[in-house]
Amino acid sequence: MRTTDVIGFCRRAVSGYPLRSGLMLLAMAIGVASVVLLSTLGEGTRRYVANQFSSLGTHLLIVLPGRSETTGGPPPMMGQTPRDLTVQDAMALARSTAVRRVAPIVVGSAPVSVGSRQREITILGSTAELLPIRHLTMAQGRFIPTGEVSRAEAVCVLGYQARKELFGNRSPLGRFVRIGERRFRVIGTLTQKGQSLGTDTSDMAIIPVASATALFNTESLFRILVQARNRDAVSRAKRNVQEIIRDRHDGEDDVTVITQDALLATFDRILKTLTLAVAGIAAISLAVAGILIMNVMLVAISQRTAEIGLLKAVGATHIQVLILFLVESTLLSLLGTAAGLLLSAVGLLVLQQLFPGFPMAVPWWSPAAAAATAVATGTLFGILPARRAARLDPVTALAEK
Amino acid sequence: MIFRDALKWALQSLAGQRLRSFLTILGIAVGIAAVVLLTSLGEGVHRFVLGEFTQFGTNLIGITPGKTSTTGVSGAVISNVRPLSIDDAVALSRIPRILETVPVVQGNAAVEFGPRTRRTYVFGVGAAAPAVWQMAVAQGRFLPEDYAAGARAFAVLGSRVSHELFGGSNPLGRRIRIGGERYRTIGVMAAKGQMLGFDLDDAVYIPASRALAMFNRESLMEIDVLFAAGSSADKISDRIKSLLISRHGSEDFTIVTQTQMLDVLGSVLGVLTLAVGAIGGISLLVGGVGITTIMTIAVRQRRAEIGLLRALGTGRRWVMGLFAIEATLLGGIGGIAGVILGTGGAWILETLVPKLPTHTPMSYVILAEVLAAVIGLLSGILPARQAARLDPIQALRAE
Repeated sequence: MRTTDVIGFCRRAVSGYPLRSGLMLLAMAIGVASVVLLSTLGEGTRRYVANQFSSLGTHLLIVLPGRSETTGGPPPMMGQTPRDLTVQDAMALARSTAVRRVAPIVVGSAPVSVGSRQREITILGSTAELLPIRHLTMAQGRFIPTGEVSRAEAVCVLGYQARKELFGNRSPLGRFVRIGERRFRVIGTLTQKGQSLGTDTSDMAIIPVASATALFNTESLFRILVQARNRDAVSRAKRNVQEIIRDRHDGEDDVTVITQDALLATFDRILKTLTLAVAGIAAISLAVAGILIMNVMLVAISQRTAEIGLLKAVGATHIQVLILFLVESTLLSLLGTAAGLLLSAVGLLVLQQLFPGFPMAVPWWSPAAAAATAVATGTLFGILPARRAARLDPVTALAEK
Repeated sequence: MIFRDALKWALQSLAGQRLRSFLTILGIAVGIAAVVLLTSLGEGVHRFVLGEFTQFGTNLIGITPGKTSTTGVSGAVISNVRPLSIDDAVALSRIPRILETVPVVQGNAAVEFGPRTRRTYVFGVGAAAPAVWQMAVAQGRFLPEDYAAGARAFAVLGSRVSHELFGGSNPLGRRIRIGGERYRTIGVMAAKGQMLGFDLDDAVYIPASRALAMFNRESLMEIDVLFAAGSSADKISDRIKSLLISRHGSEDFTIVTQTQMLDVLGSVLGVLTLAVGAIGGISLLVGGVGITTIMTIAVRQRRAEIGLLRALGTGRRWVMGLFAIEATLLGGIGGIAGVILGTGGAWILETLVPKLPTHTPMSYVILAEVLAAVIGLLSGILPARQAARLDPIQALRAE
């Protein structure tokens, strides 16, 4: 028996029962498509988070006041320590050759009012360096001026949402707003950047760091953002930051330095595991489809007993019959896989139309893994029926009809 | 023909094709087992997280400075121009049906005893903290009820800090330094364990007014209020709101009741459980396709039987009903098998990995069973219609 004969035999067997074969293909296709689509969604989420992180800045280190010694515990988020992390500490970090830019950050909340309109928003005290570090872009006017950091200039930059709420459609440039009990002149507005990792950059006002320390009556910084010179310099920058702060804080290690890469790697790992888990759960449906193929093949064999008897009577061997039916179930699962990949391509198009902003990406392994699992289960579940067919006695099989 | 006959007929035809029925049922069973197991996991995690939060009690209301509409940490907790003071906390405790209030300041400082140092969380709290947060003192006593202005320099250690600094020796009455200031240890808290990765025992508790001074702050980060059981959280929070507005002149604070927080948390976790269950449900869909396939084959093979039934005067509706009952039985039996598999799997998982909480509520089991039967019925409609449409004369001739 030649290979073409085998294929031809199977093709006719599959196309002989179009409804039955169609339903089996549908079952396989649903399984394959769900594995591919779900892993694509998982991968898309991973990329989305990675984008969010890179929009936070590149080669970034975050210095938090306080240090906790519980291993694996969260860093101290509140930033309250007996010894303040000061603006002078931040400026001293710029001495390191591994450090490119430094932006001290003071965070608080205060009512901002223009005329009769008032809104309680987040106030960020920082320096001119924040603009390039956080990749912020100006919509109008200019950012906080460079110069002496200790000068508390009464100027502010409004985020997109804050500008809309306070000024509506009027231009805010050159106007005064009241933040807390002080007057600030608006010198610029930011473009809409939306949420990045939970902090809404659009609903805030940015003022010079010295003005913020005066406004909130605090010397203590909430964070220091440090940008390393390049990727290789990140670990050296981390060491330098710790050394400089230790020197300035009487030899005490009382800050936590988090690198953006470490943070990203953690999220990356979690999301990768999640994607794999979700794809694995979806792959259970492939096993169910495999059971279906086995079932239908068993039915087919009992229906085609006479045919098998004839094959054996004209000299087909045990192995040949076995191969014949194995090829048939494999062919079914192959067709099912193809249909499933087609279905997932359609699903992908629909998803892309529904969520245009989401970075949809098929991970390279998912179609391959889905196809491999589908064909493997199809063949595996084909073994039992094929063996049953091969074992049939030609005489009794022929006598059946 | 009565219903009992129909049921018997369907059962007999299922039993007649044992292997085929078994495999079809297996398909549905795997799907239902996946759904039951995954929702059990989801529900287990749900209960675990809720348990972590309710270990502080349920009659709690938290007040934070700054008015925010969105949830999440407001910048006002870090710094603000309109502080929430210890006096506010004292004033709140005078509201009827409020049992206790705790002012809270949180920070990070080094705790020193002799040559040993440990950097840890410092909580500035009031005397009522153990009652409000449902913590127990293991040794000594908790902070006394001092006036805020003259709070004595007493500290209570978390069990882990006590162990790290003092080892096995008795810490009571010893002098320690927290953030460079001298304190006397008057108590050690009982171990409370972790909450969502946050080690609750790695902390020291000092009077709130001293913590404000240590961190050079004016404003508390939070005031936690414990109210009498049986009171309405909404009514209490209205009273808190009007009192604080009269003290501050405007609404510059945010009130979150424990029930609100649990509701938000519960709905998020509920959606997650549903999503995971739905992904498992894909298998169920494939199992449904399996029922359709097998029933289509069965209808084709049993044309003669159908023809005979029709010739004997069975109406089209009854023929359709017969096959629908058969399909529903396939789904239902598969559902029972799947529920047994799923709950068994959940039980084994919990025994093998005790850290992974699972919980299978009865309502889920019943829902899964109903779902399986409905899927069987829906999958059976197409083949049953085929059977009903057969012409009796043609069908009889098929033999």
